[in-house]
Amino acid sequence: MKKFPASDSLWSGRREDQYRIAILASYALALHGFEALIPAPIPWLRLGLSNIITVITLFFYGIKPALMVTMIRIVLGSLLLGTFLGPAFFLSLSGGLAGTLSMCIAMTLFPGLFGPLGISLIGAFFHNIAQLFTAYVLFVRKIEAILVVLPFLAAAGTVTGAFNGIAANYLIQEIKKKQVTGKG
Amino acid sequence: MSGIKTTVADKILLSICILLSFYSFAYVKQAMPKGTDVRIEVDGKLKYTFPLSKDRTVEFSGVIGMTTVEIKGGKVRIKEAPCPNRVCIHQGWIDKGALVCLPNKVIVTISRPDDYKAPDAVSG
Repeated sequence: MKKFPASDSLWSGRREDQYRIAILASYALALHGFEALIPAPIPWLRLGLSNIITVITLFFYGIKPALMVTMIRIVLGSLLLGTFLGPAFFLSLSGGLAGTLSMCIAMTLFPGLFGPLGISLIGAFFHNIAQLFTAYVLFVRKIEAILVVLPFLAAAGTVTGAFNGIAANYLIQEIKKKQVTGKG
Repeated sequence: MSGIKTTVADKILLSICILLSFYSFAYVKQAMPKGTDVRIEVDGKLKYTFPLSKDRTVEFSGVIGMTTVEIKGGKVRIKEAPCPNRVCIHQGWIDKGALVCLPNKVIVTISRPDDYKAPDAVSG
């Protein structure tokens, strides 16, 4: 897969790359905030819409930008929603990092094997595992409670992971079309 | 378009995820810690509490007559009861949940000393 130029120098930062990260992070942030407005049927269930942006970033720009977008989204998102350094923040942080890292690892180990759908499913899966682990270690300390939630999270992770993956796939195809025709 | 699209591996992974989700429901159901105590209530009052692990047969008077409850091999049943339709006896052996004998006002439940509390946390 062809990457965009200079994607490795994003930390030191060419200016236009920094702009790209900023724009992608703000997209992710907007989805993150929008999602917080939707009432969740069970407190643990979230759609993880901002993962769409993470997947897109990963496919177009690679690992470091994807991690950066995730970190910016989690920290700024929690500041905006008032959950910074609260329980939800640590769940969000562990889930977000584990999800993004697992997607990065899957992309590195098996380049080209998975498309956005598979990568998103992997991300959703490890996101949930990490959240459950964090919840267990920090808050619940009761394996029964974790066991009760696990199947629901697994099912929800499959549905939301697939949905986000399909959305990311669609957006990636659209973005590519625009790039070929030179618009956008 | 080369490179980015849905691959065969994606579809296989999706199938595995769906199967795993279903499997985890079944797995958790049977892996859940079972109750440890047999509680026998008569007319709304707790009469006996026995450990489920120890085999025994107990006979006591219910509201309309003598009732026999048997605990054996981690399971419990109502062996004899004076009720007309014998619903409680037909429930057979249970290792979770409850046996109810309505006319006799006898309730046998399997419970744990520390009852499960639902997790209360939010994720972002």
